[in-house]
Amino acid sequence: MADKRVYEVMYIVTPETAEDDVTKLNETLQGVIEKEGGSIVKLENMGRRKLAYEIKRKTEGHYVLFEIEGSGKEIAELERRMRVNDAIIRYITVRVDEDRKTAEKIRSKRENRRTARNSGFRPAGTVEDEMLAGAAESGVEKE
Amino acid sequence: MDADRDFGISGIDDQRMDKGPRRFQRRRTRQNLPDYIDWKDTDYLRRFVPERGKIMPRRISGVSAKDQRRLARAIKRARAIALLPFVGD
Repeated sequence: MADKRVYEVMYIVTPETAEDDVTKLNETLQGVIEKEGGSIVKLENMGRRKLAYEIKRKTEGHYVLFEIEGSGKEIAELERRMRVNDAIIRYITVRVDEDRKTAEKIRSKRENRRTARNSGFRPAGTVEDEMLAGAAESGVEKE
Repeated sequence: MDADRDFGISGIDDQRMDKGPRRFQRRRTRQNLPDYIDWKDTDYLRRFVPERGKIMPRRISGVSAKDQRRLARAIKRARAIALLPFVGD
């Protein structure tokens, strides 16, 4: 558990909530996370958005996105708070560090392959020189 | 009992015998997907979710099996938070 994990937490606040109250709620949750030992990488208020489907008879909602780094303990507390809060109609937590790491691995692998293909391996001109030499030799032999 | 079989000489194998998996023609050539598929990027994910709201089969989109799994996961996450619909209009 010592390793750092990165989470993305998104939640939807009821559209009736005033913009100020949403900000206030964000600050409260931020405090919860920090108290539990997590740190906020990013806090993004995505604003009012239309929901893709109705949730509790609502067709709109304030979307808020948190990016949190921590051990996982603060997530448990955060989720508990979100569950209890009536203003939050839906939330989701996604662990992203592992997927990002694999993405990084794929990217670096591809880059290595590209550099290997374009340079190194064979010094420029070698291929042509060899071919010329081979052609000359075979020509001599035939004559 | 196999007297009437001509061992493929007359091209009997060309007719479908209704056996084995049905082969599909890919509609698009191999697609390259980003290394990281962001579940929040609805504009991108929508390309794989036609109006009905269903995830596009990879036989049509031309996505690799591995990428299709990653894509499906991202779409399902987006659905959970109402960024994408479960059923379309």
